[in-house]
Amino acid sequence: MLRRAPRRTSRIGRGRQTAVAYALLAPSLVGVLGFLLAPGVIVLVLSLFDWKLLSTPEFVGLANYQKLFTDSDVWHSLLVTVYYVVICVPGTTILSLLLALLVDRKLRGMKYFRALLVIPWMATPVALGLVWSWIFDPGRGALNQFLGVFGIDGPAWLSSPVLAMPSVAAVHIWQFAGYNMLFFLAGLQNIPRSLREASSLDGASPVAHFFTITLPLLRPTMLFVLITNVIGSFQAFDTIFVMTEGGPGDSTEVATYLIYDEAFRKFDFGYASTISVLLFAVVLIATISQFVYFERRTTYEVSG
Amino acid sequence: MRLRIFTYAVLVAGCLFAIFPYFLTVLTAFKGPGQLSETMPWEPGLPPSTAAFERLFSSGFGGYLVNTALVTAGITLGQVVFAILAAYAFARLSFPGRDALFWVYLSTLMVPPVVTMIPLYLMMQKLGLVDTWAGLMLPTMLGTPYAIFLLRQFFRGIPADLEDAARIDGAGRVRTLVSIVLPLSKPILVTVTTLAVVANWNSFLWPLIVTSSEDKRLLSVGIALFKGEIGVDYNAVMAGSLIALAPLLVLFIVFQRFIVRSVAVTGLK
Repeated sequence: MLRRAPRRTSRIGRGRQTAVAYALLAPSLVGVLGFLLAPGVIVLVLSLFDWKLLSTPEFVGLANYQKLFTDSDVWHSLLVTVYYVVICVPGTTILSLLLALLVDRKLRGMKYFRALLVIPWMATPVALGLVWSWIFDPGRGALNQFLGVFGIDGPAWLSSPVLAMPSVAAVHIWQFAGYNMLFFLAGLQNIPRSLREASSLDGASPVAHFFTITLPLLRPTMLFVLITNVIGSFQAFDTIFVMTEGGPGDSTEVATYLIYDEAFRKFDFGYASTISVLLFAVVLIATISQFVYFERRTTYEVSG
Repeated sequence: MRLRIFTYAVLVAGCLFAIFPYFLTVLTAFKGPGQLSETMPWEPGLPPSTAAFERLFSSGFGGYLVNTALVTAGITLGQVVFAILAAYAFARLSFPGRDALFWVYLSTLMVPPVVTMIPLYLMMQKLGLVDTWAGLMLPTMLGTPYAIFLLRQFFRGIPADLEDAARIDGAGRVRTLVSIVLPLSKPILVTVTTLAVVANWNSFLWPLIVTSSEDKRLLSVGIALFKGEIGVDYNAVMAGSLIALAPLLVLFIVFQRFIVRSVAVTGLK
């Protein structure tokens, strides 16, 4: 990927080309190094300090981490986050794959169906959270009114500690299933015609064909979809902020919400940074393990 | 034939499910306070009432809308222009440190925004930019690594001969970029711009943290706080949501063909 560009430097001096290059790069150097890379490093430093609002920062070594390991709020919020991820990622992935199989046909009007399914992806998450709060409203909301038509007395979705999290996660799935469908669709359309039709001639059932031929060939798309969704859902904040504010109790208090709360409501920047580092580590481990898993599976396939 | 009817039936059901929250938003936004309790959520309120919008705009919502439009336009313009410049340097120029620097750029893709938020806030505080337009826009408008990556990959696919010909004729780097490379890069420019507009219009956490005064408030923050201020006035909340949702929806309907195609492009490489 990083092949060197062909050297065509004889006509103009190398120095001049370097100067031009860095002039073109200058704004993004400030943006990427200054506002992305540097904060990523500074957060590590901050996590070693005791720094509350108006107090002078004081170096405390690993004290914040010691507190972290015994802080049940932190572990609870990490569990809540994992619960959210565990509902959202398989839900979104399976639904989007099924949708992709459905729209991967040449039927009249198909491009409009595809477009309609993608629309939720663009919706402003905060607005969407409010719209779904209204749908989930226990008294007059659309969901319970609809259930009422069948004589079912719907529950208070968002104020039940048991139902709040699945309800919030359902909104995530609703928003991103159509969007991820596009990636699976592109993956399906990259599969050569010959392979698509080969085993239907062998008389294999469509289901067997899907699991033996289609799914293994979709592996690169699968990895992309899983990784982007895992990273995205670990950072969920906007919809939860407006739908439940972490409640009821702390049943939907995901890690980002806890970080926001510690940093910008309690103004404990040091400790909030420590929780950020923990979240970063968890996301990184989740991402790397997916890469390793898929790498292994693929080599296995090739050698076996 | 049976399969085709089944496919259509599932598709129609799926699409209805994808867009019914939008219908409910429109219906609720145009109901009067009395109509909300008299009608089912999926029934229209007759006659339609614009009372909710009047309440919203009298509480400063028009300003939020203008702010959001201007900030989105400003950040997007910066992101696209600066990403183009950086991507061109990475794709076409050879200079010391290029490959290492490119890897550094890519590695920042892995840093979740929520992790950088506290240091970024403290940096803005040091620079005296908290609750200013600059503080709101500066951290993201200088180019995003993802856009730079997408553009660089595309630029590398354009034959260098085309540029060499222009350069022999005496055109400089910036001239060749503008007159040769960019016209050939329309598809990827649509992709990058779309992703930027959606992300910037929807952005919530950073504006929530870095701005506090009402004259700099964005729509997303406005409707989130609005809910807290007025309680459960669903007419007004849905009218506000509609104002936030509608512009991207219109954008989507107009550019639907390009957007669907261009989103898929980003997943392939």
